[in-house]
Amino acid sequence: MKFCKRTDLAVIALILALAGVFYTLHSARQKETAAFAEIYYYNTLVETVALTTGEERTFSVKEAPNVLFRLYKDGAICFFSSDCPDKICVNTGLLSEVGQMAACLPNGLVLKIVSLAADELGADIAIG
Amino acid sequence: MKKRMLAFAALLLMGLLHACEKPQQKFETEFIDLFDTVSQVVGYAADYKEFSKFTKKLHEALLEYHKLYDIYNSYEEVNNLKTINDSAGKSPVKVDKRIVELIIFSKKIHSQTNGLVNIALGPVLKIWHDFRTLAAENPKEAAVPEIALLKQANEYTNIEDVLVDEAASTVFLRYEGMALDVGAIAKGYALERVCEAFEHAGYKSILINLGGNVRAIGAGQNDKPFRVGIKNPLGGKFLNIIAVRDRSLVSSGGYERYYMFNGRRYHHIIDPNTLCPSDYFEAVSVLCRDSALADALSTAIFIMDYESGLALINSLEGVEALWVLHSGEIKYSKGFKAFIVN
Repeated sequence: MKFCKRTDLAVIALILALAGVFYTLHSARQKETAAFAEIYYYNTLVETVALTTGEERTFSVKEAPNVLFRLYKDGAICFFSSDCPDKICVNTGLLSEVGQMAACLPNGLVLKIVSLAADELGADIAIG
Repeated sequence: MKKRMLAFAALLLMGLLHACEKPQQKFETEFIDLFDTVSQVVGYAADYKEFSKFTKKLHEALLEYHKLYDIYNSYEEVNNLKTINDSAGKSPVKVDKRIVELIIFSKKIHSQTNGLVNIALGPVLKIWHDFRTLAAENPKEAAVPEIALLKQANEYTNIEDVLVDEAASTVFLRYEGMALDVGAIAKGYALERVCEAFEHAGYKSILINLGGNVRAIGAGQNDKPFRVGIKNPLGGKFLNIIAVRDRSLVSSGGYERYYMFNGRRYHHIIDPNTLCPSDYFEAVSVLCRDSALADALSTAIFIMDYESGLALINSLEGVEALWVLHSGEIKYSKGFKAFIVN
């Protein structure tokens, strides 16, 4: 007895092809890991900054005009200056990797690096 | 034959559908009102409602510890560490058992680290805190405290003079001028106690960072360990990404809370022997199950030389560490590298 007919083979080939397409699309989606910086003011997202534009600029958010952020050409970002008493936010330095975060507690600001797509190679959280 | 083929096709389609099934989603949130630091929570849940229900409970639990262990602020109807400090040399203070337990744990750690982690070092730490604040507010006024002033304060830092009556649930600082400062222990201790409670309640996939103290409840999506990046204190990419499942990872370093004077950095981790900022390393990280222990050990090995730190780490089961030297060289305890995934 033959295991299967030619049409059966065609059906199997079609299903495997479909599986391949699904897998490729899924993998492509996983690899979209362009990073963004998100700026929160007391837990409300007030600014999203693309880190891959290659531009260099200093800016603030309207909720805390006395705090300056600086974006660098290489995609790093930081608290550049602040009127807070301890300057821990500025001392935290440059952030560039998904999972990194800095905060200016007296001004209610959190700056964090996120990836808008699933990033299986990045960090969930960063310390140090 | 057709039936067999149909069954085969159905199985394949089921597999495809399973692969495309919507997974538990990843959510994140931050708290900025706990322990004078920023906290971050990452978790997997079916929807945001489920996640926010959890984070609300988590925040409430941590806020209770925050109020109890606060040395700067008073709260209505709460006897906290500030109450104990304010009553130094006067009278014992009746406190919540979570304060008594913290102090008993701290005394044990003090003994285990030959006095390097000392919650009674408050008078010395306060001087450095005041100098740091002054320098941050006005860098031109930056200065270093006189050693005589530090030594005078150090007269009131004997942990044996922190008297705990467990049965009565009271704490008494024997002399006026004494002060508790639990900065090296409290975050990790509170986080461990809270995470234990959530583990018992059945939570399985949460990662919390309480100001550099990371604790994982369970693992991440698809039961893969969470990934925790350790920042390079000298700049650049992560030093390592560490796989963390049901464990704690804590870093200590002098790269955020510091001030500059005469071209030198004066950070907040004070060596009780010199009464000055420790200068052995840029940063250290400790990996183990218990967040309270990891927190205390990260301070301890930051203020001892590498050989002594390694000996301490090796003497403890299930504890690993890494050290970042000023040169940028990284040293690891024997089993640490097994957790590196980058």
